[in-house]
Amino acid sequence: MSSLAKQLFQTVTFAAATLLLGTAPSRAQSASLSSSTSPVYHEVTDETGRSVRIPQPVRRIVSLAPSLTETVYALGLQDRLVGDTEFCDYPPDAQKKTKVGGAINPSIEQIAALHPDLVLATKGLNRLETVHALDNLGISSYATDPHTVNDIIASSKKLADLLGVPDAGASVAAEMEHHLVALQQHLASSPAKRVLFVVWHQPLISVGKHTFIADALRYAGAVSIVDAEQDWPQVSLEEAVRLQPDYLVFAASHSEASPPGLEALSTLPGWSILEAVANRRYAVISDAVNRPAPRIVSAIEELARQLHPDAFVEKPQNLSEKSAKEKMEKEKTGKDKDEKTPPPPIQPPHLAFSLLSGGLRGSDAVPGGRACAR
Amino acid sequence: MRPLTLRRLLLQCFALLLILFVVVVIAIKFGAVPVSLYALGRDLWNVLLHQRSNISSDYVLIIQNIRLPRILLGIMVGASLSVAGTSFQALLRNPLADPYVLGVSSGAGLGAILALIVEPHVVLSPVFAALLTPLGAFLGAAATVTVVYLLGRREGQIDSTTLLLGGVITASFISAIIMFLMSTLTGNLRGLSFWLMGDLSTPLQKSVYWFLGIGFLIASGAIYTTASDLNLLLAGEKEAMHLGVDVPRVRLVVYIAASLLTGLAVSVSGAIGYVGLIVPHVMRLIFGSDHRTLLPTAAIGGAIAVVFADTLARTIVAPNELAVGAVTAVVGAPLFIYLLRRRLA
Repeated sequence: MSSLAKQLFQTVTFAAATLLLGTAPSRAQSASLSSSTSPVYHEVTDETGRSVRIPQPVRRIVSLAPSLTETVYALGLQDRLVGDTEFCDYPPDAQKKTKVGGAINPSIEQIAALHPDLVLATKGLNRLETVHALDNLGISSYATDPHTVNDIIASSKKLADLLGVPDAGASVAAEMEHHLVALQQHLASSPAKRVLFVVWHQPLISVGKHTFIADALRYAGAVSIVDAEQDWPQVSLEEAVRLQPDYLVFAASHSEASPPGLEALSTLPGWSILEAVANRRYAVISDAVNRPAPRIVSAIEELARQLHPDAFVEKPQNLSEKSAKEKMEKEKTGKDKDEKTPPPPIQPPHLAFSLLSGGLRGSDAVPGGRACAR
Repeated sequence: MRPLTLRRLLLQCFALLLILFVVVVIAIKFGAVPVSLYALGRDLWNVLLHQRSNISSDYVLIIQNIRLPRILLGIMVGASLSVAGTSFQALLRNPLADPYVLGVSSGAGLGAILALIVEPHVVLSPVFAALLTPLGAFLGAAATVTVVYLLGRREGQIDSTTLLLGGVITASFISAIIMFLMSTLTGNLRGLSFWLMGDLSTPLQKSVYWFLGIGFLIASGAIYTTASDLNLLLAGEKEAMHLGVDVPRVRLVVYIAASLLTGLAVSVSGAIGYVGLIVPHVMRLIFGSDHRTLLPTAAIGGAIAVVFADTLARTIVAPNELAVGAVTAVVGAPLFIYLLRRRLA
């Protein structure tokens, strides 16, 4: 009896499923043909102040920046990501997505061919022209513009809301905040180290004070010696020598394992005058620091541990559950020490900027104005 | 010089238009997203039959909204630059003259950048705001032409070498100013550096296409009215004056019109070099140096050259894109050297 009922149930569900599946595509087709039959739109103002209309729900996303790709993955929406850029290499799965080109000069038609509901862009990396081009085609785009670590958290949350997964956003944000708070406790008694963040070494390019990287340095118990209004200022070596940073900070791409580079730095004329170079006080961290995405917190932690090893050895004395906590802490720091003892593979700084190279290509071209020089 | 007949002119233009058509079909077919000729033909057939419901949405999106506007832009930019180059070469009696070499493109670029800087500070209706950049580019081009022309004059006559040097120096001076502006100003100037290399990738508002098209027709029409005078000018300004050419008027008309053409082209596409230099040369080699033939054939030739170069720019490193200016330079410079050697031989 019961097996019969089961069979009956299965048949009914099967029939219902075929009906559903059978009708759904044709409905989708008719919707796409008479595309103006007003799907539900959500009107929001993006972080660059543009008011944008975003179709709801967002099922197909194209990301134009590695950071946005990472954020989409962090929110667990990787299945909705239908395209990203050639620079999107994290998580590794992101490399398998359809590529729409670089961040500066993506192929608009490749984007269009993916029929995205929403294209994600970021002001620091993408061009306004790209967004305009998408506007003209009626493709919705949303641009982020984070300038601090808090902006990154807020931005991830907003994206999560926009994409209909507010819970995932809240938990990603909470996770980031949790790590940062813990880090601040560790660093509470350590004075900030003065660092020079090297985006590029020939010419020397560092970060301006309004970048999220400068803010990330602050969270890691460091302060950039460069105090520029511009985002990617070219710093004269003289100025760097005058300010004598305690540490040079480099971001290394995880995908590149090629040897030396940093050693060569001390042989470059001028650089050896830097005390940090003479004493090999380098901090090499993941290039996650270059990406305004949730993973930046891990790069911040990495930097903090390299700059303030002491703060992580002696555990901060906190009240009651001391012993248990202490034990955990010990394990943790012990583990970290293990991880750290083989010093991070030193990578040539000029190879390290898989993300920024896109952003910098533009400013590289600035001194060119090559077309005009002719 | 064989006598010009309308029949021959039309035949020549028709032949070139045929080539342009082939290039356009190639440009429509190739791109980051593959489109089969069969699908293309089917969709085109449906368009002709007004059966819009049978058209695949990719056709509408990619061909109609992305590739065709870009091809149209390439046609207008190429024709403008080429006609401007032809008239500069005639007026200055210098085969090396071209909007790019003379610094006019740089001047237009500077004008366009200044317009972009001013734009946020003035309140304009959207239509005028869209025209502000072309206007700035035109003024920049016109100012540069005047400066270069004055630099190139010696004892009332244009001196070829001085003129070219004047152009090169002016161009480098202007690019220094552009560099200065770009390193001091922040904001959306990164896009500009891409644009300065010559770039057709940004679809523009419809009004801009109209503006470009009408501007091109008016300016090249004005130049065409002086075509016979330009032929006489090849003998020299004084000689032309003796033959009854109103040289100052021709000069004024051609300068303004050619600056307008350059300004329009640069404002939408940046500095695409060598088109205004090479295309008139090639057309002169094929069709002779009668400007009544040369101007229209150069216009179509310029369109062919830019559309073809842009197709290469779109496809060589797809899905990335090259700046079309880089492609025209790579193809144009060796061709130019070849022409130069041939002329010397």
